[in-house]
Amino acid sequence: MSILEVHDLKKVYTSCFGTQKVEALRRVSFSVEQGEYVAVMGESGSGKTTLLNLLAALDRPTSGSVLLDGVDTSALPEKDVAAFRRDQLGFVFQDFNLLDTFTIEDNIYLPLVLAGKSHAEMEKRLTPLARELGISELLKKYPYEISGGQKQRAAVARALITEPKLLLADEPTGALDSRSTDELLGLFAQVNGRGQTIVMVTHSVKAASHATRVLFIRDGEVYHQLYRGRDTNEQLYQKISDTLTVLATGGDR
Amino acid sequence: MMKNGFYLRLALDGMRKNRRLYLPYLLTCAGMVMMFYILSSLANSPLMQTMHGGDTMKMTLNLGTIVIAIFALLFLFYTNSFLARRRNKEFGLYNILGMNKRNLSRILLWETLISALFAIAGGLAGGLLFAKLAEMFLLHMAGEKVGYALRVEPGGILMAIAFFALIFALMLTVSLARMRLSKPLDMLKSESAGEKPPKANWLFALAGVILLGAAYYLALSIREPLTALALFFVAVLMVIAATYLLFIAGSVVLCRILQKNKGYYYRPEHFVSVSSMAFRMKRNGAGLASICILATMVLVMLSSTSCLYFGGEDALRGQCPYDMELDAAFDRPSDCTAESLDRLCRLAHDASGGQESGLVSFTTLEVSGYFDGGVLDINSIVRAVDMSSPVSLLEKLRSVEVFPLSDYNRLMGTELSLEPGEAMLWSSDGKYPWDSLTVKGSRTVHIRDTLSTLPVRISTSSTLVTVYCLFVPDWEDYASDVTAYAAGIGADRSDAVCSQSCAFDLPGMDEDEQISVRQALIDAIDGHKDGNSALTSFSIGSRALYRSDFFSAYGSLFFLGIILSIVFIAAAALIIYYKQLSEGYEDQRRFDIMQKVGMTKDEIRRTVNSQVLTVFFAPLLMAGLHLAFAFPFVQKLVRLWGVMNTPLLIATSVICYLAFALFYVFVYRGTARAYYSIVSGGDAR
Ligand SMILES: Nc1ncnc2c1ncn2[C@@H]1O[C@H](COP(=O)(O)OP(=O)(O)OP(=O)(O)O)[C@@H](O)[C@H]1O
Ligand SMILES: [Mg+2]
Repeated sequence: MSILEVHDLKKVYTSCFGTQKVEALRRVSFSVEQGEYVAVMGESGSGKTTLLNLLAALDRPTSGSVLLDGVDTSALPEKDVAAFRRDQLGFVFQDFNLLDTFTIEDNIYLPLVLAGKSHAEMEKRLTPLARELGISELLKKYPYEISGGQKQRAAVARALITEPKLLLADEPTGALDSRSTDELLGLFAQVNGRGQTIVMVTHSVKAASHATRVLFIRDGEVYHQLYRGRDTNEQLYQKISDTLTVLATGGDR
Repeated sequence: MMKNGFYLRLALDGMRKNRRLYLPYLLTCAGMVMMFYILSSLANSPLMQTMHGGDTMKMTLNLGTIVIAIFALLFLFYTNSFLARRRNKEFGLYNILGMNKRNLSRILLWETLISALFAIAGGLAGGLLFAKLAEMFLLHMAGEKVGYALRVEPGGILMAIAFFALIFALMLTVSLARMRLSKPLDMLKSESAGEKPPKANWLFALAGVILLGAAYYLALSIREPLTALALFFVAVLMVIAATYLLFIAGSVVLCRILQKNKGYYYRPEHFVSVSSMAFRMKRNGAGLASICILATMVLVMLSSTSCLYFGGEDALRGQCPYDMELDAAFDRPSDCTAESLDRLCRLAHDASGGQESGLVSFTTLEVSGYFDGGVLDINSIVRAVDMSSPVSLLEKLRSVEVFPLSDYNRLMGTELSLEPGEAMLWSSDGKYPWDSLTVKGSRTVHIRDTLSTLPVRISTSSTLVTVYCLFVPDWEDYASDVTAYAAGIGADRSDAVCSQSCAFDLPGMDEDEQISVRQALIDAIDGHKDGNSALTSFSIGSRALYRSDFFSAYGSLFFLGIILSIVFIAAAALIIYYKQLSEGYEDQRRFDIMQKVGMTKDEIRRTVNSQVLTVFFAPLLMAGLHLAFAFPFVQKLVRLWGVMNTPLLIATSVICYLAFALFYVFVYRGTARAYYSIVSGGDAR
């Protein structure tokens, strides 16, 4: 069974005075299987962030539905949505979004504390995770004391500590240098390797080439998709580049 | 010159863009100029020369002017530094866009000029407008019926302009110097600089706790009003220091302690609050402490001055227990005869046209000195009660009034008799645990009995120091010995005085008539003086005459209390407002993140709300605590002014606190709106 099903999703933004309407998503349908690693690509303004916000139930679709593990998130009341998001979803953002008032450790604990877990339980989960992500040494530090790459790994830890069904990432490598990018992509592949489902929005062909499937969005629609099949990263990289070239040149509507 | 216009426009634009910050700042500046002008023009009003008690009033008002001046200096510097932080960001941007520091200085110069112009011109306009009103209010409180004489005071205007121009010039200098020293990138960052987590400074926190404890202990342990006066400022300084230490360091330490307790800290309802509270307090500690101090000052000032004002009539009656009192001092006790006492009574009777009632007459010897274990030492006495004398000595000061027992019997209609060397005693504090009273180097009397009531009403103004009234059977011998001893050691004559008094009420006479009775008495006595060389001096106290003195003093104090309170409250409100704004900008981002991590909007609103509430109501609670502990102090200070009405002081304190709390909530509500509009404005991101 698919872990995530998106049916006919549509999102229209209306400006403050209701005069202008922007159709950010038009007709989006796709599904994601358990254990998949899906990259979503598209030009700036094509609706990627909008899509991710709808998947995360941070925003409500104009029409259509998002089923996560069979639950329609757009039908949940606000109170349950927050709990649902906390328990079932993990987030990684381009700009890390760590709270500067917390140590790294406390930042990672945040979703667990909100879920009412005991401190012992939290520690038990964090120790192996911190080791896996290579941040064991940083736990007592504050965000302002560590590098961008380290912050992003801490953010990944925060996203994974709830053992979410789905990890959502919005341009997670956008603010990183190439070494940190490689490290992070390696980490994503690694957690995906142990069965974590991931949906990642990205501009970077290199980032997308680590995924098992790549969705291309244009003008609010899923325009094309690529499966990795038996390709290596390099081969997939090539295919993505080709597709993007086609999209940019010959793919006029 | 077109260039100049350009910088002026940039300055104006900057101010307009940040009008949420500048407008309240400018209004506060103008308000301070206004209050400064009002007080100084009232102090220099010609009325102060003509009206009764004008001197006291002038002094009080001048004091107020000085307080406002000092406060304005401190406060405007504080707010200016707050504005500078915001401004630096803009300047950093201009700098990167190619302006050098000279250009930026130009903008700063224009900005200061505009602010100064607005503040001084606006303040003076307001001052001229409201000075009349303030004068009417002041005179009404002082109970004056004289006409209003206030005019435009060029002196006050010049002084206000000069003083505030100086403040602005100083602020400009500081801002310029600060800019010269900073690097452009620092400027850009300076707003978000200081993201480092607060360090828990245990030493400062501990010092704060100890200081506060010591100040509170001091307040509770003081018994005598004079001691209270001497130590009041020490206690005030201790409390101020302790408040700053506690708000800045203590609060962070508290948060750290809570964080160490894992079972407590890692709960959804505490986790976010406690950790962000530490940051909030680091930013806001000084501001909150300032609010707390200002609130405490307002509360102490208002509760005490209103208590004085409303208890003034009591104080007046305490100090002048009779409508009129005629005292005659004599050099020799043997001159204090029954005939001379009679003569005083006849004088009083004649001068009041037979309208006197409840007339009492008596003879006394008054001695004062340091008292210890039943022994009064008049040799050691300091000539004037000097506030700088050691506190332990002030507490030992006593006054002893010695009456003939025969006066007691005459006035009370009793037939008490005592052996020579024996005496009856009455004590103003109701206790006298010794069985004899010795004037060191002279007489000792054995206390046969203590009395609970006196035959005459004595002036309670002297309850600053405890008074013992002694009734002896052999008054003339006793008084002769003591005065001879006093003369022998070269004591001032006022240290051992024999006098005869005649006191009476004048019911059915209004104040003017009573004052003319006093004049008649003075004339009559002047006629008599030559005939009796033994009389050294007379004094005639009239309650009607004192009343205007009293109320010009209490009225102007209360007036000043109100004016200063308005200024302080405005300052506190501005600090609160700025806090709300800066909090808003910081929380906007946090709000966003927490939502993405899985908090509902409701939960976020609740935690933020509870933090904001805690932060803003902590100063109010602390101020209440300060006020409660200051109570014994204030009670004694008010007693120094002759008001002994404790229930009244409790009432004024409670009312002031409630009124202030109400006002505070009001300000909080108003500024919270600014806060929420900023926080929710961040949703679009
Ligand atoms: N809150 C909003 N209100 C109105 N319009 C919006 C809002 N958010 C996004 N849009 C519009 O919807 C469209 C899609 O925006 P979206 O942020 O999803 O693009 P994106 O693919 O994430 O772009 P980028 O790669 O630059 O991040 C854009 O035209 C954008 O202007
Ligand atoms: Mg985007």
